[in-house]
Amino acid sequence: MSICSKFGAGALWALAAMAGSLLGQDTPLDAANSVKIDLPADAPLNLISTTMGDSRATSRGGAIVLDLHMGLTLRNSGFKHIRGVTLLITAQEFAPGGKGSVARPSIDVPPGENFTLPIDIRLVRPVRESSGPLVRVQLDGVLFDDLSFFGPNKLSSQRALTFWEVEAQRDRSYFKQALQARGENGLRQEILASIAKQADRPQLDVSLTRNGRATGAAVPATDHVAQFAFLNLPGAPVQPLEGWAAISGNEARSPQIEIVNNSGKPVRYVEIGWLVKDKQGREYLAGSVPASETTMVLPSGQHTKLRQDTALKFSRQGRPIEIDGMTAYVSQVEFADGRVWVPSRRDLDSSPLLRITAPSPEEQRLADIYAKQGLAALVAELKRY
Amino acid sequence: MNNPQHPSESDLALLAGGEASRVRRLLLDRHVRGCEACQETVAAYRDLRDDVAEGDLPGVNWNFLAPEMRANIQVGLEAGACVGTSPAASRWAVTHSWASAGPRLAVAFATLVLLVVSGFYVRDIRTRPATVPADATPVLESTSTGVGIRIADKSFMLPSHSDTASNQTVSARGDVEARVVDDKGSVTINNVYLQ
Repeated sequence: MSICSKFGAGALWALAAMAGSLLGQDTPLDAANSVKIDLPADAPLNLISTTMGDSRATSRGGAIVLDLHMGLTLRNSGFKHIRGVTLLITAQEFAPGGKGSVARPSIDVPPGENFTLPIDIRLVRPVRESSGPLVRVQLDGVLFDDLSFFGPNKLSSQRALTFWEVEAQRDRSYFKQALQARGENGLRQEILASIAKQADRPQLDVSLTRNGRATGAAVPATDHVAQFAFLNLPGAPVQPLEGWAAISGNEARSPQIEIVNNSGKPVRYVEIGWLVKDKQGREYLAGSVPASETTMVLPSGQHTKLRQDTALKFSRQGRPIEIDGMTAYVSQVEFADGRVWVPSRRDLDSSPLLRITAPSPEEQRLADIYAKQGLAALVAELKRY
Repeated sequence: MNNPQHPSESDLALLAGGEASRVRRLLLDRHVRGCEACQETVAAYRDLRDDVAEGDLPGVNWNFLAPEMRANIQVGLEAGACVGTSPAASRWAVTHSWASAGPRLAVAFATLVLLVVSGFYVRDIRTRPATVPADATPVLESTSTGVGIRIADKSFMLPSHSDTASNQTVSARGDVEARVVDDKGSVTINNVYLQ
C-alpha cells in the first residue's frame, strides 16, 4: 500500500479502494460516512430521511466509480407550493464525470408536505482524493408556484426549472382545454397522439467533446462548412439570421448562429434547437445550441452570435449518420427581467419538422400516467391543479 | 504478496512505473511474464499511475519554474563569491591559496551537482504527461443504453431504465440531460456534465 501513502491518501477508504482494485471488489455505501447532504439553514426544505438503496463504490484502476441509488425524503418547510427542485451531486468538482445533477420538475408540493427525490446517478472520483465524504449533495434550487426561486443557482437551475414550469403550464392547459371542449374522448385522442409522437421520435446516439476535437487526439479534416436552414416560429422574440458548423462525415464542429432580438425587451439567454438530416432525408433532433453561460444581455434590435466550441458525432444503431443538412429554430428565450418564452403548442404544430422535438417533461409525465394508470387517473391528475 | 517466490509489491510498483533498474527490470519481467497474479498487480499500478499523471500537481508550471530555480542557484553562487574572508584566513590563504579555494570550490561543485540534479528532475516531471494515453479526451455520450462519460477505454455510463420511457437531449455547451418517469409517475431529470 505504499502508493497510497505516497499520494497522501490516508483515509481508510483509499485502503479499501486499493484492495478492491486489486481484488476486483465493490463496497456498499452508507449514508453516515460516505455522503454529506448540505441544505442551507434558511432553505425551504428539511431533510427528513435518507435511504442508500443499492448504492455502491467500485474501484477501477486509480478511480472509484460511485453508483448511487439514493432516496432523499424532504419536507416543504416554506409557505408556498413547490414546483421543482434541483440537487447538485459532486464526487469531484473539476474532473470529467465527477459532477452531476438531479432535478424534479412538474411537482406540486404544498407547505408542510413530504416528497421523495430519487438520486440514480453514476459518478467518478480518483482514489487519492479520499479525505472526507465520497459524495456531496447540495441544494441548487427550489422553484415555487409563483415562479419565485430559492438557492445558490450554480447550475442555472432557476432558468431550467422556470422553462420546465412554463412548458408544464402550457401543456397542462392544452390537455385541460381538450378535456373541457371535447370531453374524455377528446382528451384520449390528444394523449394517444402524444404517445404516438413520442414513440415515433427517432433518437440519435451522440458523442460530444470539447474544443472542437473529435474523439481522438487529432483534429479531423473538415469536408465542408454547412449552413443552417432556419424554421422561424411566428411568436418567437428572437430570430436566427445565419449560422454554420464545420462538417466532416458524421461529425459537426463548432456550431455558431447569429441571432437578432426582435422583441421590445432585452434578452439574457437564448437556446436554439438543432435538427440534422441524413443522406436518406430522415430528420433527427441533434441537440441544442445554447448561449454561453457568461452573462449576455442582448438589447432590443441588436444582433449577437451563439458559439459553442464542441464537436458532436451522430450515429444510430451503431452506424454513423452522414450529415446532409441542418435546421435550427429558437426553442427558449429568457428576458432580462426573468420572464421566459417557449414555443406555443400552435408553434410546435406549425411544421412537421417539429414532430421530432422532445416533449416537455410534463407532457411525458401525463402520457405516462395515461399509459400506466388509464384515462381516469389522467383526468384526476389534470384536475389537481 | 509475502510469498518469497513473488517479487515484493514495491518492486512491482517500480516496474509498473518504469522505474526499476535495468537488471532488476529484466528479472522482474521474466517473473511477471509467467505469473498471472503479478501481471494483475502491475496492471493495477499502471492504471493508478496513469490516473495520477493526469491530475497530479495541476497548478504547477514546470517550464516556468525551471529557469527560476536555475536563477536562484546562480544568485547563491554569486552571493558565495561576495562573502569576505578574515585576515587570518587571508594569511592562511596566502600560504595555502589552492587549499583556500577548497570551501568555495566545494560549494560551487555542490551547487553544480544540485543544478544538474534539479534540471534532470524538472525534465523528468515535464515528460510525465506523455504517459497519459493520447486519446484520453473525455467524451460525453448519449446512447439508447444510457448517458455518461468515456475516457480512453474507460466508460462510466448511467444506464437507461429499461421499463420506462426516456428522453435524452445533448447540449452543445457540454452536458446531456436524461429524463425518466418513475413508477410513481414523477419525472426525474439527470444531468451529466463533461466537466
